[in-house]
Amino acid sequence: MKRIEVKLSLAVVAPLLDVIKEVAGGLEKHLAAPLALQDLEPDFQETWVDELLEHQKTEVATLLGLFGDEFFSDGIVAFDEDNAETIVRACAAVRLRLREKYLQGLGDDTLESGEIDLTHLEEPLRKAFMCYLFLATVQELIIQHLDETILDT
Amino acid sequence: MKFPGRSVGESGNGFAGAAGPASFTIHVDITNTQALPKEDTRTALAHQGPWRVVVLNDPVNLMSYVVLVFKKVFGFDETTARRKMLEVHEQGRSVVWSGLREKAEAYVFTLQQWHLTAILEPDEAH
Repeated sequence: MKRIEVKLSLAVVAPLLDVIKEVAGGLEKHLAAPLALQDLEPDFQETWVDELLEHQKTEVATLLGLFGDEFFSDGIVAFDEDNAETIVRACAAVRLRLREKYLQGLGDDTLESGEIDLTHLEEPLRKAFMCYLFLATVQELIIQHLDETILDT
Repeated sequence: MKFPGRSVGESGNGFAGAAGPASFTIHVDITNTQALPKEDTRTALAHQGPWRVVVLNDPVNLMSYVVLVFKKVFGFDETTARRKMLEVHEQGRSVVWSGLREKAEAYVFTLQQWHLTAILEPDEAH
């Protein structure tokens, strides 16, 4: 099984986890991407949303599970074909929710490019944007190194 | 991948997955057949014919992520997936699939699982 281990800076990442956990909590009841189908039958729509929320909760729990004892002892998180797809999706969900909750004022161009002087941002916006960038980095790592594996499963 | 199916008859279960063939079994009880109300008829007619699955742009999801999703969900090769992703990025939307309504819904569900925003629209080219 292909596996990548990433050593993260505890001093940088640990303070972000509170924000990630808080935002992740909001994903228990809200879809990260709004449902854009208006003409579904109400019963069907309810079933659909419930199912999507269940998936979302599982993904987010897997993402948060990365930051357990091993991470806090040596800063290492590991990705493999069992968790990669789930974590890539969880990162997308949390990033969308970060935008919804904290980052709307930054504008779409900034969010797309990720280019902004962090020293110009005040808390809690600065920390939220760092979470946004950190999760994008996790996604890039997984897609770059495990893409073929993800597609094969 | 599980897709919450429409409840049709006693054993209609919807789809097994977006990428696989639709297995939408409909049982009709001949002894209990009733004429459809006009509203249902209109809905049924509106759902006939091909539908497009359209992915809309968002400023959050990475280009590489969208390419991955298109490859994974639709089986696109790298070139097609990148072209579709760039359409979304530059034009705000891309038609990624066209076909029967039920299967189009299944694709939208799957895209939603990947946290992309997708809509359905009638494919008026047909």
